[in-house]
Amino acid sequence: MEAWRLPLSPSIRGKLISAGYTCLSSIASVSSSDLARDANITEEEAFEILKLANQSCCNGSRSLINGAKNAWDMLHEEESLPRITTSCSDLDNILGGGISCRDVTEIGGVPGIGKTQIGIQLSVNVQIPRECGGLGGKAIYIDTEGSFMVERALQIAEACVEDMEEYTGYMHKHFQANQVQMKPEDILENIFYFRVCSYTEQIALVNHLEKFISENKDVKVVIVDSITFHFRQDYDDLAQRTRVLSEMALKFMKLAKKFSLAVVLLNQVTTKFSEGSFQLALALGDSWSHSCTNRVILYWNGDERYAYIDKSPSLPSASASYTVTSRGLRNSSSSSKRVKMM
Amino acid sequence: MQNGKIKPENLLRRSPTNRKLTTGCEILDGCLRGGISCDSLTEIVAESGCGKTQLCLQLSLCTQLPISHGGLNGSSLYLHSEFPFPFRRLHQLSHTFHQSNPSIYANYNDNPCDHVFVQNVHSVDHLFDIMPRIDGFVGNSKTRFPLKLIVLDSVAALFRSEFDNTPSDLKKRSSLFFKISGKLKQLASKFDLAIVITNQVTDLVETSDGLSGLRIGNLRYLYSSGRRVVPSLGLAWANCVNSRFFISRSDGSIVKDRSEKDESCSSSVSRSAKRRLDIVFSPYLPGSSCEFMITREGICAVQA
Repeated sequence: MEAWRLPLSPSIRGKLISAGYTCLSSIASVSSSDLARDANITEEEAFEILKLANQSCCNGSRSLINGAKNAWDMLHEEESLPRITTSCSDLDNILGGGISCRDVTEIGGVPGIGKTQIGIQLSVNVQIPRECGGLGGKAIYIDTEGSFMVERALQIAEACVEDMEEYTGYMHKHFQANQVQMKPEDILENIFYFRVCSYTEQIALVNHLEKFISENKDVKVVIVDSITFHFRQDYDDLAQRTRVLSEMALKFMKLAKKFSLAVVLLNQVTTKFSEGSFQLALALGDSWSHSCTNRVILYWNGDERYAYIDKSPSLPSASASYTVTSRGLRNSSSSSKRVKMM
Repeated sequence: MQNGKIKPENLLRRSPTNRKLTTGCEILDGCLRGGISCDSLTEIVAESGCGKTQLCLQLSLCTQLPISHGGLNGSSLYLHSEFPFPFRRLHQLSHTFHQSNPSIYANYNDNPCDHVFVQNVHSVDHLFDIMPRIDGFVGNSKTRFPLKLIVLDSVAALFRSEFDNTPSDLKKRSSLFFKISGKLKQLASKFDLAIVITNQVTDLVETSDGLSGLRIGNLRYLYSSGRRVVPSLGLAWANCVNSRFFISRSDGSIVKDRSEKDESCSSSVSRSAKRRLDIVFSPYLPGSSCEFMITREGICAVQA
């Protein structure tokens, strides 16, 4: 922290700086009499300055750049960050416990692989109360495709409630007699659902999210299903599209960091013409692929659905299988190697 | 979203199950948990002669049923890009429908055909010209039934000859898919419409990149008439629909009938042939399948 940030009178500040005391660490290591002599100020003034400097050191970081953290603090924060379960333990495992808060995770795959199913599952699971190991939060579901069906969400919510009842049954001693049990309708109510029908609506909504979330601080996950749909139409100016998309990605990252919530962007798959042939790639182009912290790709392997960690700053590349059941996402029932490390 | 206020929708205000349009066949309805969902784009993929058009005609009539009977108490708009439109078949089905449901028409002295609006579409541009008119039509309609179903039969025909196989043309074609889908979904959401789009199949030709055989949905392979097929318009279009249902027929179950009475049907439509419906993907239905039949009366359960 620089010395000029200390609450001092301008003249004293000026004397400090011209004497060469520009950062706190230099002030903190000197005695008041030395400081008084160097800066041409009285001993009382020097003593006051030292007191202020020590206070600032205790309150904030000792680093030179305001707002920077050291790696130990960050590791501690990361390890204690809550994660949202996918209800499929194999998938949770390769995700390091579940979808991490404070991050933007992109999940892409072909139609019918289960993107919307994961989206709905996460918007339900974020609401699992802390007593049951969840976050006790709410969800924002931004539906750009019209795939969200209340009857499916209710099915998944009902299964979640049943699972929780079973869990609290086992943890009998923690169960309070007067504890209000969650009902599937409560779960539905805690999903803030936005239907977006054009890219202008999408942009307007994303810009509005910060205000909305600051008024609804218990939102812990924002799901966009899908981020892609409205941006694959006729775009006269592709450069503008890239710009708009990167601004959007940035806004999501800021939301994730500011409110410590998880942002999950569901993406489609397209064929990219490269090196003379068509290949499968996530939609929205190369520049978009840098916009998300984590990327998970869903794909078919024979008759099984698999998820693959394609990009992550901390997780190793691995794949795991999952199934979509009437109760939601679950582990695949086949006993063969379900999780593969790369 | 109006007046700059962006508010979330209260999901509890929605009915716990989406409104569904009955197919008129209880087996199909059972497989589809009630029928075709409103506020959703449903695609029906099948090779020629499998009954896509039959099913669409039947849906157009069932729309007029009261909600208690699985209808939408509404009229339908049938956009057709294939020629000719089977007017005679529609009249035939309408006649049967009228006889089965006299009460709907008794007081108004009209008949089911009056509430099926047929519009031909000869190109993609033409379709975009029509769309704003649909908006106006639904909004200001003074007809007896509000519009509740839009059928597009078929989407593949719109793209049949206009585009080459070059990457840039394919890209142009793709963006049109999304534009069409976007606009239709907007209509579906705004007016709670059911939207059904039919699509063709092409024989699977394995290309070296292996992408033609890319698996999309619950079925590893799609077979019809003993051949392996893929839905037309590729991966891009598959991303544009909410649900995809595949109708197929198996080898050797076709009974061709060229009698006078069936002049109204195209000669390749079998008189009593078994069909199979598979759910390829859907946001609320598990992968399942069922069998049904097409008869003079329309689509019905398999007769033992």
